[in-house]
Amino acid sequence: MIIYVLIYLIIIGAAVLAVISKKLINSAIMLAVLSIGVSLLFFSYEAPWAGVFELSVCAGLITVIFISAVSLVKQDDEEFKEDRTKYKIFPLILMAFIVISSIFVPDYFMKISSFAVYVNNSNESIGKFIWLYRGIDIIGQITILSASVFVIKHIFFKKSDALEEK
Amino acid sequence: MSMTINYPLDWFFISILFFIGAYCMIVSRNIIRLLIGFEIISKSAMIAIIASGQHTNAINLAQSLIIIMILVEVVVIATGLALIVKFHNKYQTIDIKKLMNLKG
Repeated sequence: MIIYVLIYLIIIGAAVLAVISKKLINSAIMLAVLSIGVSLLFFSYEAPWAGVFELSVCAGLITVIFISAVSLVKQDDEEFKEDRTKYKIFPLILMAFIVISSIFVPDYFMKISSFAVYVNNSNESIGKFIWLYRGIDIIGQITILSASVFVIKHIFFKKSDALEEK
Repeated sequence: MSMTINYPLDWFFISILFFIGAYCMIVSRNIIRLLIGFEIISKSAMIAIIASGQHTNAINLAQSLIIIMILVEVVVIATGLALIVKFHNKYQTIDIKKLMNLKG
């Protein structure tokens, strides 16, 4: 029980630091720490496949994409002066939210959790779920992935490519 | 080891995480920070799905949903950052208020 609370505190601390940190590169690194915490949580919830995907894709790939994008726009980021008062008062607002939500949220979700439907197919493997029950999602996944490839190809389209084809 | 954590306590932390991401998306004028807030919100949704699956004894169904959701998240982040880099190359800024002149 206590280890779950510790992992949740790591996740929330990393999220707060990602929001209030001044440099964007620190925000990207704190996002990686948040992903590592989430993957630890998945492993403790006996969900190893989701944990492995989270650790490799969200903590690895997304961090690399974020850091490369931040380094591409870095010059402007240093000149871009934003009013930082809203980030400095953020811990106070978060404290107020925690106090208010600790009064209302647990009762509300205790009521909601009484609607939960318990199922008995937990023995079936994850491959069966992906291929038999959620097979239509694979088509959507492939469509989104190819659409993203075409969008990125279109965004970084160079005129020299078109000239060479002619 | 069926019930590992109190379910409403789980949702309490998830709602805090959602609030952090929503605040980041609301107040920020930097476009990259908007995507960081989006990422935090989607993490809270993932934890919600996994916690619900663990609670209702359907953890494998929740895992199969999470695997698909992670891929969609990567696609959204990669496309969004590519658009931001293109926008920055054209207008030399990452301020969201400057996007107002994209009319039509």
